[in-house]
Amino acid sequence: MRRSLSLLVVLGVACILVTTDCRKEASGNTIKIGVITSLTGNQAAFGQAHKAGYQIAMEEINAKGGIDGKPVELDIYDDQSKPDQAVQGVSKLVDQDHVKLILGAYSSESTRAIVPVVTQKQIPLIMPTAVADNVVETGSQWVFRICAGSGSFATATLDFLKNNGDPKTLAIIYENTNFGQANNKSMAAAAQAAGLNLVDSEAYQATSPDYKALLQRVKSKNPDAIYFASYLLDAGTLMRQSEQLNLNPKYYTSAGTGFAAAEFPSPEKGAGKFAEYTFSVSQWLPSAKWKGSQEFDEKYTKLVGTHPAYHGMEAYAVLQAGAEALKNAGAGATPTAIRDAIRNLNIAETPFGPVKFDARGQNAHPVLVTQIQGGKYKVVWPLDAAESKPIIPTPEWSKR
Amino acid sequence: MSGRKAQLIFSLAVVGLGLLVPIVIRTDYMLNIVFRVFLFAGLGLAWNWVGGYSGQLSLGHAAYFGLGAYGLAMFTNRGVPMWISVLLAVLAALLFAGIIGKVSFRLRGPYFALCTIAFAEVLRLTAKNLPNVTGGDVGIQVPLLFPHATQLSFYYSAVLLTVLGIGITYWLEKSKFGYYLMAIREDEDTALSVGVNTANQKLYALLLSAAITALGGALYGSLFLYIVPDQVLPLEISTELAIVAMLGGAGTLAGPIVGALILETASEVFKNFFKEANMLIYGVLIIVVVLFLPGGIVGTLKLKETPQKLDSESGRVTVDE
Amino acid sequence: MEWVYGNLQVILDGLMTGALYALIGMGMALIFGVMRIVNFAHGAFLMMGMYVTFVLYDRLHLSPYIGFLVAGGLLFVFGFLTYLLVLRPLPGQESFMVILVTMGLSLILVDASQLIFGADYHQINIPLQSTNIHLGPHIAMNAPWLVSFGIAIAMGSAMYWFVMHTMFGRAARAVAQNRYSAPLMGINVNRVQAMAFGMGAAAAGIAGALLLPLLYVFPEVGNQYRLKSFVMVVLGGMGSIQGAAMAGLVLGVVESLTSYYWGNEWAPVVDFVIFILVLSFRPSGIFGSQRA
Repeated sequence: MRRSLSLLVVLGVACILVTTDCRKEASGNTIKIGVITSLTGNQAAFGQAHKAGYQIAMEEINAKGGIDGKPVELDIYDDQSKPDQAVQGVSKLVDQDHVKLILGAYSSESTRAIVPVVTQKQIPLIMPTAVADNVVETGSQWVFRICAGSGSFATATLDFLKNNGDPKTLAIIYENTNFGQANNKSMAAAAQAAGLNLVDSEAYQATSPDYKALLQRVKSKNPDAIYFASYLLDAGTLMRQSEQLNLNPKYYTSAGTGFAAAEFPSPEKGAGKFAEYTFSVSQWLPSAKWKGSQEFDEKYTKLVGTHPAYHGMEAYAVLQAGAEALKNAGAGATPTAIRDAIRNLNIAETPFGPVKFDARGQNAHPVLVTQIQGGKYKVVWPLDAAESKPIIPTPEWSKR
Repeated sequence: MSGRKAQLIFSLAVVGLGLLVPIVIRTDYMLNIVFRVFLFAGLGLAWNWVGGYSGQLSLGHAAYFGLGAYGLAMFTNRGVPMWISVLLAVLAALLFAGIIGKVSFRLRGPYFALCTIAFAEVLRLTAKNLPNVTGGDVGIQVPLLFPHATQLSFYYSAVLLTVLGIGITYWLEKSKFGYYLMAIREDEDTALSVGVNTANQKLYALLLSAAITALGGALYGSLFLYIVPDQVLPLEISTELAIVAMLGGAGTLAGPIVGALILETASEVFKNFFKEANMLIYGVLIIVVVLFLPGGIVGTLKLKETPQKLDSESGRVTVDE
Repeated sequence: MEWVYGNLQVILDGLMTGALYALIGMGMALIFGVMRIVNFAHGAFLMMGMYVTFVLYDRLHLSPYIGFLVAGGLLFVFGFLTYLLVLRPLPGQESFMVILVTMGLSLILVDASQLIFGADYHQINIPLQSTNIHLGPHIAMNAPWLVSFGIAIAMGSAMYWFVMHTMFGRAARAVAQNRYSAPLMGINVNRVQAMAFGMGAAAAGIAGALLLPLLYVFPEVGNQYRLKSFVMVVLGGMGSIQGAAMAGLVLGVVESLTSYYWGNEWAPVVDFVIFILVLSFRPSGIFGSQRA
């Protein structure tokens, strides 16, 4: 037993040593930026979209000479779609790999989870996609969010509705996840503030094949407008099954994502004709009027094989913004200086719109409202960005 | 030197090394890994009392883990002082363990395991479905148990948890209570027939196990300051606890410690090396261990060193000590 | 009257989902009944069946309503081999070993699928999806659901017939009843068990194929069905495949009614609550006649 005992002790020590990464600090030849995203796990599809967006941005930055002549290198950590792994990632990137700036994570829950640790380690974080508003409500001075949050989605939608027919009743249908629950909370609060009557709020278990019972419940409440918070394929199922049940609210609106996906209107990969007339908030579209959008669309499609949804663009945008801040902060800047550089950013034009972070770290990213008309997304709100008039009320299924 | 003493020495040696670790390891990243090693060692030791010594394969221990974390968060958010919340969280876990035990222990074999899974899933889904009570998937804030010297305090708490686990296991192995449990594991019907109140003994083991697991959960939740149901209540946590104990050797003292050492460090290595394929390698590891090391590492080592009897029907090995 | 139609629609939808559940459950019941194996890889088998059917549609434009046969065949072979190579060598087949091994297998299969197909979701859009059959002005059924329902019922019945009326079926039932006496009757236990495992896997694969036009495929799609199949096996009574089939239909209807009256997010909870209730009060199952 003595032999086995010593063997075990050696084994134990070896285990600890093996994970001690004796990596040397980054040689002065590259600028390393930390990235946390979900390359595996149930959010992997979006993590991979992030990865593509980051890659395109990195290549563009390096093609222009990098930052202060040094190329940018990405240190990507996979949080496996788990918030505690994201926290682990921050430790590794900062303590082990000595990055001075982190971009990420993908999901709202992973992003919210890393806010305390980046604050404690005093490393700036730029968030690309987290939509739940609690990520910017902690009071931390170290976090910045480039995309619009669920609160903005709600107010933009309600603004649109109030000025286009002013419906009186609303039902919210949302997937029972962080994304859905956060949007439900924001819309319920905003609707109450706007004096709109919330007649129903339904959570559903995502990836189910059958939502008809749920839709029947909503139908019985007869809402003027419905607000969805869904991912692409559930969005398709919901719309198809709405048609089967002959559910005809005057407005189908949504918190983007599934209802704003590039493939949503397509008959092969989305909901085809069932997507017609649906409204959605949008962070970004390939056809957006911001300069560089179309080029990004082409590069992304070439790299990945499908058109980008806005997740890829958001990754691209945070890396571009981060690189800009690093440039402004100068070589050898401390994380604090980098953070201040981010806060002082004022970029009027990027493919993702203007970038300027307020005191909370929120970028005032404009939220558009689009409608699918003739199988294409058309911006219908706000008026100065609109390319088409909205078609309201939504024609009944039987009359299409 | 009997196997049991050797295992104790080994375990204490690991703890000793653990106490010295912060001298060598300074980065939070590495501290986090060793924190996980000791946390899961302690939790594995706790699981072991139900799964290893009593032979009841519980795959629902995440319920107690999650109750610990959520209890701490929810009670504190309603104004209860932090450490009282921890106590209340443990009591909540004990309450649930009582209910779960009462229902599940009437079942044998796979039915028991499935029942424990069902209870944990009900808890997880309920936590998800009641965002106004638990924060739902948007999450809930957990108070910081150690505002000073944070990382080190959490680390030493995990080491303390392991020491607690070692102590209880050592006592259990030679106590009448432990003897009853092992009798239940070997042959529950016979144990019943000689007068062992099997239902009660199993329940006591579960209560003890649940309390320690809940403590671990509270610790874990507090370290992350923010939890969602899928972080502390999913099947993956339950299986991790079970595998840590089984990989190292269920029903042995040093087993869960060895298991935690290997599994937690291996997970991190796999993630960095194999990237997207890491779950696949993890699955292969599980299968290899079960097929080739049925008694776990410590169990197999014991086989080689001490006289054994092979039970030809169940393939289980019992050891003379 | 509206109330009646509403509920009728909900119940009919539940039955259609339930038929798919029934097929999955029957596969699991066969495996559990013959071998007492709690197959944690059952959901992964469903996922594999879905991917096979998807690839056939994507590359060869083969309708899933023909592709399911290929999926079933492939999964049968896969299950058969898995049993022989991975499960049979387990010493004594302790239930916890089996659970862990099948869990490990599930992880491998799911991750492998992600490596091969990517994590992204894939769906197929067959023209049939636009067709709705109306029973009167108040009830509508979507055509692919009806076809999947029909095939599931047919496959389930075929499986039942096979188990009840063929030599293999009798051998399987013999092994289920008494693993140790069966060889004395001249039964090759290993072969019977491998075939049973293969059939169970095939059932899951076929259910996956039938699910493809109704849902979409991604690596973890099977996980939600894996725990459900345990519920069905327990409800149905140990190893009773007709019990599991009934349980599947019941679960489908109960989930649908729960969605209608309490909300869709409670439907999966109801599964487990029923499970716990049955285990507490009638562990021998509701539909089966066997001992616990």
